[in-house]
Amino acid sequence: MRRQRPLLGTFVEIDAEGLPGHELERAVAAAFAAVALVGRLMSFHDPDSDLSAINRGAAVAPVAVHPWVARVISRALALHRLTDGLFDCAIACELVRWKVLPDDGPVTAPATMAAVHLLPDNHIAFDTPLTLDLGGIAKGFAVDRAVAVLRRHAIRAAVVNAGGDLRAIGPAVPIHLRDPVDPSAIRFAGMLQNGAIATSSAATTLTRFGSGQVSALVRARTRQPIVDCDAYSAIAGSCMVADALTKVLAQSRQPDAPCFRRLGAVGFITPSHAQQRFKGLDRRIADPYFSNAPARRYRA
Amino acid sequence: MRWTPVLAVPAAIVVTVPGKATVYLTTEQAQRAIFPGATFTGTGRPGVFRVSNGGYLVIDQVVGKHEYITYAVGINPNGTVKQIEILQYNESYGYEVRNASWRAQFVGKSAASPLQLNGDIKNISGATLSSKHVTDGVKRILNMYETSLKGAR
Repeated sequence: MRRQRPLLGTFVEIDAEGLPGHELERAVAAAFAAVALVGRLMSFHDPDSDLSAINRGAAVAPVAVHPWVARVISRALALHRLTDGLFDCAIACELVRWKVLPDDGPVTAPATMAAVHLLPDNHIAFDTPLTLDLGGIAKGFAVDRAVAVLRRHAIRAAVVNAGGDLRAIGPAVPIHLRDPVDPSAIRFAGMLQNGAIATSSAATTLTRFGSGQVSALVRARTRQPIVDCDAYSAIAGSCMVADALTKVLAQSRQPDAPCFRRLGAVGFITPSHAQQRFKGLDRRIADPYFSNAPARRYRA
Repeated sequence: MRWTPVLAVPAAIVVTVPGKATVYLTTEQAQRAIFPGATFTGTGRPGVFRVSNGGYLVIDQVVGKHEYITYAVGINPNGTVKQIEILQYNESYGYEVRNASWRAQFVGKSAASPLQLNGDIKNISGATLSSKHVTDGVKRILNMYETSLKGAR
């Protein structure tokens, strides 16, 4: 059974088998409900979400959150430390400033996740006003929750794909990669068994801001946007870790970095095939020698 | 976790999906999935059904940058959204498809690899595609409900 719903601002697909029709239907619906709950709790855009509540109030007094929000923030803090600060959910102030995220409240000064504290009983406190965005990890967490629900329903073979961040249980499945510049171009990447893969690219969110370009991917240390068109993929046991590591890989460009080894993860970078074509095109325009050559010479 | 990558991916392994269509649900299946056990009557408008519990089910289509999507929205009797299901998801034709000679070079290779040129390419990882156009479509349907469906019985 394969179902798709628009959730988390993207398309979430669940492909599951191994149960009689109506039981499978119930299991898949429960898995979608878990994804929808993650969306409601951790949406940056929804003023009623727990995330919006901590962004508004956690710098003043500790804010109580849903256990899932506490869990994501706890894992985000661990990943922040493990990646020497490269993974940082506090870069959202730059995204708000660049208008990649909506700016409903005041724009906060740059801060890091080191100023975020998880207190007992699922309370969150900030040392200083900051803007947290869980966009770099919540989608992966939602996929993991959906997989947990399917497992509880005794489903042994399934793939949950939240707009490109996916996790598979059961037999090995072929994984394809979408070109970040030309989404209709797909390439076969490999076979994945009982694991998760996530891919990020600046290309899909690249926009003009002032005299330069910005994207949803930010370098945590320099607070500069990543503006290349490569696809950054990470494979890990959980989709949350895979999701987070794509942001680390986009900055470090080192799949062999210690944090990948310690998390048992694999990373790889795929240049955009469409981008390579455009580069060829640029060269033809820029170089007078090439400008007279037949165009088809530069087709991939 | 076990990952078996393709060894040395040459640039030429890229294919453009030739108008891939994934059918998730038929209209009848969507009706049963969103309002189990209910009965449905037409309203005279194409794709708009009145549900026996007092709600509505609307089937609509949106066109995105690269896709064409048919979806169903279940509206509760109180006007809130019960459930949204994607019925059919079509990815658009890329520019490569027109170039038959370019595609011909992959014909022999598709049988040996799990890459299926005309088949169902599943499990695509990639930078997230937005579903904003569906969200906008749902808003449009809720407006239609408020202005012309609500109380029309």
